Amino acid sequence: MFAFGVALAHAQTTDSLSFDENDKYIYYQVASEPSVNTDTLYNRALHFLKTAYPSDQLKLNKENKSKLSLTGTGGFMVRKKALVSLQPNAKIEFDLTIEVKGDKYRYWLTNFVVVPYQRDRYANYVPVSGKKIPLEHGYRKLGQKDTDDYIDKLLMNCRWVGAKLKSYMAKTSGLSPAETKLKKIITKEW
Amino acid sequence: MKRKLLLLSLLSAAVFTAKAQDSTLTISGSVDTYFKYDFADRKNIGTSFATDHNSMSIGMVDIALKKKLQRASFVGEISFGPRGQEQSLPTGLNGDFYHIQNLYVSYDVTDKFALTAGYMGTFIGYEVISPVGNFNYSTSYLFTNGPFQNAGFKASYVVNDKVSLMAGIFNDVWNGYRSAKKLDNFGAQIGLTPVEGWSAYLNVLTGKTSGTIFDLTTAYQITDAFKLGLNAADWSAPESAGGYTGVALYPQIAVSSIATIGVRAEYFKWKGYTTMEEGVEVDVESQNVKAITLTANIKGGPLTFIPEVRLDSWNNDGNFLKKNGTPSKQASQFVLAAVYAF
Repeated sequence: MFAFGVALAHAQTTDSLSFDENDKYIYYQVASEPSVNTDTLYNRALHFLKTAYPSDQLKLNKENKSKLSLTGTGGFMVRKKALVSLQPNAKIEFDLTIEVKGDKYRYWLTNFVVVPYQRDRYANYVPVSGKKIPLEHGYRKLGQKDTDDYIDKLLMNCRWVGAKLKSYMAKTSGLSPAETKLKKIITKEW
Repeated sequence: MKRKLLLLSLLSAAVFTAKAQDSTLTISGSVDTYFKYDFADRKNIGTSFATDHNSMSIGMVDIALKKKLQRASFVGEISFGPRGQEQSLPTGLNGDFYHIQNLYVSYDVTDKFALTAGYMGTFIGYEVISPVGNFNYSTSYLFTNGPFQNAGFKASYVVNDKVSLMAGIFNDVWNGYRSAKKLDNFGAQIGLTPVEGWSAYLNVLTGKTSGTIFDLTTAYQITDAFKLGLNAADWSAPESAGGYTGVALYPQIAVSSIATIGVRAEYFKWKGYTTMEEGVEVDVESQNVKAITLTANIKGGPLTFIPEVRLDSWNNDGNFLKKNGTPSKQASQFVLAAVYAF
């Protein structure tokens, strides 16, 4: 049992995509900021969801202060090289959850959905209407090559989101305006 | 020839300069080629593209450049080959080709409101000139007889996730780089998304010299595998000189991640009308055609193979010829096309 627990703990901190209990792809991480209290961590996570990305890339969906839980939705474009330039190929949408407990926090990205893009009559790349394919169905509906590519890029994006969240939780880039308020200096006093 | 070489050189220079300096320039396009065989062993069905009988023939090489910087964007799309020249584009004043499929600039006044001006692919109809945008390789009668491009100025407004509006003024001739006299056609579009996966566009384009066309273009991705499209249009020619009415259904089903099978079932009618010839009233009779096209799209990366069988049936003789040269109401053909999209 102990060995299984260790193995599970190890798997839960692996920096890669895994499957959750519902067989959905998940990128799950646990981190801590020992010198920062719970409220501050929560506020920084909230600040991250509100400001770290433009709203079409990540936005706050729900905040639950009593449960110290925040959820957001986001998406990123997958571009493929064609001729000499990159073209939008698909958008991968996801849900992000951040939870705080003591001086620790955990976050996970899941519910990945692939929205293929196509060129319209005006040479603009637009989403294919009505096509939203859960990543779990990718191999069957999108083919192995494309799905492998999406998974690679998805993992890279998850790491970027995670790295940015960590910087918000740890550094001044993640401080809310209240925290970054400058201290007043009274020049009359030495 | 020199002019073409110069154009290609300039394009190459632009491409490589763009690559070096700005990665936001998008370059896309396609190359297409086909073999067609008409079962009467002669050229019969007058589809816009795939015109050559018993021949390995070329479509076009099509290259579109797009760049958006902040709120301003442009699209320039050029094409070479039968599909991209005499089969879809007008000529210039001296009979030479400009090769321009799209050339327009656009400015997003707000996130929802945009202004666009230039020479644009038409907003009317289901099918388009680019083979990448069509499921079938041969084209419908509705496409062939409708506008291909409209030059003009338009304003687009996204009301919400379900409704968009467009209105504009366009040149007095369809498919022209310049107006015959005036910029006086009015065009408008209401775009609707009643439920996720279902889009519908109600279009109108009207003017004294080009007539009035009402068009409904809609597609519904009912399941991940099954899509149903529909195009219906009615065109009244100027000066009561007839026009056409038609409807086409496009059911398609994906049978695997690389293969989709679809049917285009079309009914198209030329309206009857009365005209004067040498002072005598002449009745031009209405005639109609039913066309069934069975098509498959088989994808191998950026390459799509398109095998297609088509049967057209007019209500009267005279449009087609049999193998022995006698008139026929019916004609059928087989096409195998390959389209590479980049």
